[in-house]
Parts: sequence; structure tokens; C-alpha cells
Amino acid sequence: MTGATATIEDQLRAILRDVLGVDAARAEAIDDDTPLFGAMPELDSMAVAGLLTEIEDRLHILIDDDEVDGEMLESFGSLSAFVRAKRGA
Amino acid sequence: MTRGAPRVHSYGDGEAMLGFGPASGPQLLILQPLFEEMNRSRALIAALCRGLADRGIGCWLPDLPGTGESPRALDTLTWSDWREAVPMVVAATGVPVLGSVALRGGALLDGVVVGRHWRLAPTSGRSLLSDLRRSALASGSDPATPAGYTLSPGLAGPLAAADAAPDARTVRLVSDDRPANLRVEGIPVWRRPEPQADAALAELLADDIAAWAKA
Repeated sequence: MTGATATIEDQLRAILRDVLGVDAARAEAIDDDTPLFGAMPELDSMAVAGLLTEIEDRLHILIDDDEVDGEMLESFGSLSAFVRAKRGA
Repeated sequence: MTRGAPRVHSYGDGEAMLGFGPASGPQLLILQPLFEEMNRSRALIAALCRGLADRGIGCWLPDLPGTGESPRALDTLTWSDWREAVPMVVAATGVPVLGSVALRGGALLDGVVVGRHWRLAPTSGRSLLSDLRRSALASGSDPATPAGYTLSPGLAGPLAAADAAPDARTVRLVSDDRPANLRVEGIPVWRRPEPQADAALAELLADDIAAWAKA
């Protein structure tokens, strides 16, 4: 995977693998409709901290604390839409 | 066999340091991750130091003041204290040190070490502070004392602006596509709340460090 070819979704899946310990097969199966916060047991509020920081570092955005809410983390699709909007893509 | 219990050393004013491996051959200073990531990475670092010792490389593993076995309290320390501790570590080894092996936030301090620099997944001070602040918010604790880590303004201020200097061999995990000289398969143990070991990762890293140190 390189920065030139990896999509935002690929990068987010890699981050979920790293932060949550989700295995490769499960990470591959994640799509826009996959529910996240409240549905994925590994994603507790402490894991959210690591998830947000890794997203900032690897996708080169800054996330304000007041931008983080249930809606943003509701599903993989809402998280990737948030990142895409932040990147101005 | 060089494998065995580490030697217990000290540096500075009663600060703790472990030594691994032969006194002959290349000698490397190991700079651990900062804050909670240090605890999470303990098993990986121990395996890495033993692996390097087996490859004929001496390792020196200090606990920075205010961390690990240090007699000092973290909230009394400044960024300068950490920067000044690193040359004390080098002096206390009593041998010529080839350079440093830094993990994560340890890379923010490796510029103080004279010599060559090898890094695993270096991160910025800003990221470390964001993590601490968010963890505090998530756990309902006071963001001024994030996750039990009380930082003085003299530590938090300079740390926020600290970034790893260029000119190092950088290794990252394959899942992290930021610039790197080498990517390896492995578990980012520093991200996992439950302590985890990754023996295969430790071996891969020891191989790369040994080749780099002997080049």
C-alpha cells in the first residue's frame, strides 16, 4: 500500500486494524454500512482516542474535540465522509 | 550464550538503566516510547534487546526521569530534564555508543544522541499530547492530568512543538503508509490497551537494526 494509491477507506481500515486489533478478514469486510461506535465491541471510548489520533497522523487532518460525536462514529461510511470533508476532497 | 538476565546499571542521580548483550561490538542506546505507550511496549522492547544481544550488539535501556523505575515524579520534570538525561545515559555506559534506537515518542529525544539514529514508527509531540487529552476526556478524568500522567507546563509546552529531526533510518508497520525506509508486518503493541507481545516483529526489527548497525 502506498500513499498514492491507497483510498481513504483503505487507510481507515488499516487504522481500525491497528488500533482495535481487528483481524484482516474482518477489516476487509468493513463497508460504509458497518456500524462502529456502540456496535464494535473493541471500539470503546478509550480506543476512540487512539483512533482519532491515528486518523490525524495518517490522513493529515486535525480533528477538534467538539467535532467528535455519535454521528461521526456511527458507521464506517459516516467516518469516511467526515474525513473526506475534512480533507476538502 | 549472551542471552540472559540484563545487567542493572544507573545513570545521573539514581536513575535506572538496564544493559543487555556484549560490551564489545556495537553499542546502542534504546529510547523507549513515552507515557502509556512505554508500558504497552515493554514486552516488545525486552524481546528486541535480547534479540540484539544475540546478534552481538550491546543495548542500554534507560528509564527517563519520572518514568518506569525512576525515583522522581513525572510532574516535577521538564522537557529539558529529559534532553539533559540522555547525555548522562551515554556517559554512564562507559563505552563508545554507535547511536540510538528510538521507538515512537523516543524519537523526539534521539537528536541529543551523537551518532546514527534508527526509529520505529516515530510520532510527534502534538500527537502524544492529543492522545493523552482524548484519553482523559474519554475516561472522565481531568484533561490537566490525563490518564494519571500529570505533565508540568515545562514538559507539555516544549513537547507540543517537538518533532523528530530528519536523518534517521525509519521503520514503520505495513499498515502505516507514511514515509519509511522499511515496512514490516506486526502488531502496533503501543496502541493496544492490553499488553501484547509480538515475537516475530521483535525478530524482524532486530535483524534490521543489526544490519544497519554493522553496515
